[in-house]
Amino acid sequence: MSCSEALRVQEYFDGELDAGAAADVERHLETCAECAALLKDLELTRAGLRESGPYYRASDALRARIADILDDESGERPARRPARIGKGFLWGALSGGGATALAAAFAALLFLPAAPNLAVDDLTNAHLRSMMSDHLIDVVSSDRHTVKPWFAGHTDVSPPAVDFAKDGYTLIGGRADYVDGHRAAVVVYRHGKHIINVFAWIAGDEHLPAEALRNGYHLVFWKSGNIAYCAVSDTGLDEIATLTHLIQNAGAPVSRE
Amino acid sequence: MSDRRRRFETQALPHLDAAYNLAKWLARPPLDADDIVQDAMLRAYRAFDSFRGDNVKPWLLSIVRNCFLTAAGQTRHTRNVPLPADGEVGSDDPALVVDAPDPEAAAIRAEEGRRLADVVAKLPPEFREVLVLREMEDLSYREIAQITGSPIGTVMSRLARARGMLKEKWQSDVEGAGHVLQ
Repeated sequence: MSCSEALRVQEYFDGELDAGAAADVERHLETCAECAALLKDLELTRAGLRESGPYYRASDALRARIADILDDESGERPARRPARIGKGFLWGALSGGGATALAAAFAALLFLPAAPNLAVDDLTNAHLRSMMSDHLIDVVSSDRHTVKPWFAGHTDVSPPAVDFAKDGYTLIGGRADYVDGHRAAVVVYRHGKHIINVFAWIAGDEHLPAEALRNGYHLVFWKSGNIAYCAVSDTGLDEIATLTHLIQNAGAPVSRE
Repeated sequence: MSDRRRRFETQALPHLDAAYNLAKWLARPPLDADDIVQDAMLRAYRAFDSFRGDNVKPWLLSIVRNCFLTAAGQTRHTRNVPLPADGEVGSDDPALVVDAPDPEAAAIRAEEGRRLADVVAKLPPEFREVLVLREMEDLSYREIAQITGSPIGTVMSRLARARGMLKEKWQSDVEGAGHVLQ
């Protein structure tokens, strides 16, 4: 690439530019065939890497060894544990002898994913899918008056889509997805570098945990009326909980619109 | 459970896969990604009380990278990171995860994944790492600069080179890549 704007195009592609600079690059792309081709190549290599490229995940054996190491470090090693089931650090979490109520609650939280739950798997997979493909957002908007009506035409439910940018949770759009046999509406937020997908669907009689942790992703569930919600993200549980509280508190006024 | 342990499990352990993925892409035999990650998690845990910031992932990955360089320095006479041998990507590694909806597509994806892994593995390490951090971990330039200890300008130019090399090699080395990169 010899065009002097090539690095700017890359910055644009990587979302590193502010709106003004991005608009400049977009204007440049309209007239520079070289940079337009570069952008296409960037998209193709990313799609290839994210969709076909291997991603190596830590084995259960490694997780177990790390849990052991942390036990040793924290002086929390109990009597030798029996053969491990599932992720090792779950057992590590349970091993604290004089567990406070907080630690116990936390262990219970960690222990939830051990029970098979199709909804949890499905939601985690839907979240992963959205992160790995171009299908993160169907309707791009930070305006609830755009997102909420869009849901009405594309999904079974029309959950509140409120922007909480001033609290650090920016509404970036919405998407239709299919989760556990339901047509779900997904409200997508950005928090720092993290994406939080908030799934909403018509609640059935499925049993949903309050919280779950699957493959490093936190899931927080709640119900409001006949709608079930689940917020999924790789950000911290506290950060997700803050957003769910904002949504729960904002839900009422928005639904009157 | 100690407060440090609790915070470590909620804030650092969710990034264990990212730590492992980076180690796996960097390490070549006789280096073992498991050993590197284990070492890194222990160091991270010991240092966790002094960690100030709200972004654990780049902090953790920079520790993984340092552990890799330390391990590489101990097993090599040069300080250069070893280049991979041709075709050495561990294609049969059970940890190699390829998501695809149906078996046929899964087979095609797996094959593409192996070829792609091969091409990425042949990139010089300083290019390989920025590519992994940007495209697989979705980290910002600033975060990648923090992890690799390079200026942002260096991250940008390496990333551009890495992408250019990847595209070129993928097209020239790989038979049948035409349907991926047209």
